[in-house]
Amino acid sequence: MALPVLICDDSLLARKQVRKSLPESFDADILTAGNGVEALAILRSQEIGLVFLDLTMPELDGIGVLEAIKQDGLDCFVIVISADIQPEMQKRVTELGALAFVHKPVNPEKLVVILKQYGLI
Amino acid sequence: MSTVFSEEQRDCLQELINVAMGLASDKLARFLNTFVHLQVPAIELVNSAQIPAQFEARYSHTEAALVSQGFLGNDGLRGEAIVLYQLDNAHRIAALLGYDTDSASELEMLTDISSILTTTFLNGLADQIDNSLSYSAPRVLSSRQNNVSEALQETAFHWELALKVDISYQLVDHSFNCDMLLLIPGEAVLNIQKILDRILEEY
Repeated sequence: MALPVLICDDSLLARKQVRKSLPESFDADILTAGNGVEALAILRSQEIGLVFLDLTMPELDGIGVLEAIKQDGLDCFVIVISADIQPEMQKRVTELGALAFVHKPVNPEKLVVILKQYGLI
Repeated sequence: MSTVFSEEQRDCLQELINVAMGLASDKLARFLNTFVHLQVPAIELVNSAQIPAQFEARYSHTEAALVSQGFLGNDGLRGEAIVLYQLDNAHRIAALLGYDTDSASELEMLTDISSILTTTFLNGLADQIDNSLSYSAPRVLSSRQNNVSEALQETAFHWELALKVDISYQLVDHSFNCDMLLLIPGEAVLNIQKILDRILEEY
């Protein structure tokens, strides 16, 4: 059965880059969101198994989304894909429950390793 | 900018710049041993003749510095990167970095910070478009005593277009604003559009 996946990034290019980085063997139903508010609306209204989450976004940033996911006890895996690559930021998102921290522009091989590591493919 | 670039091209350029900014912020954070709050930089492409007037208000009542660095890459990619600083901000950074406050070390500090920010940013941008750049040594065009607007006018005069990148670095205890201008020749827009279209076609 396909895994419901949400790609959240304010950049259309970045959303396309993530989508194209996913291996063909990954059976996913992909939804997209352009900011954190849109992402939370989707996460609160339907089951999402995995979120690819950008950090620097208008309206509500990725940190805000992670905090809300934690607070509401939403059941989903989160992989952060970020241009902000400071070690401090990586530590912060890990503490907030993100599975992994991937640098932009996303590297397909690294993404596959992470998806395998968590049994998603 | 919207008249020059399509919405898709603009989005693509913005994302390339965001990634390059992320690299520069990380470098700055490591250099200053602090955390840098990263904001999405506003970008705008303008006629370079408009530049002095646009910055007059922000820099006329403050001590400011202007550091310039030329860059040259493949496929006709060339230009001049200018970083404008308000000196009161720069002094706080100088103190964090352990520079003396005399004017000789101020110049040294400005060129150091510029080379961290500009070179890291431009290399990050070039990497993403499979280009590589070489640079001229950074030059401090003006600081305190000289008029920023005059220095801008002289420099901008040599180029047709300017890509304005409005950068704001919020450090944990300090805020540090600077403006980056990429001055480029008129024909560069066509090259940039081609590069953006090539990337867009891949996705």
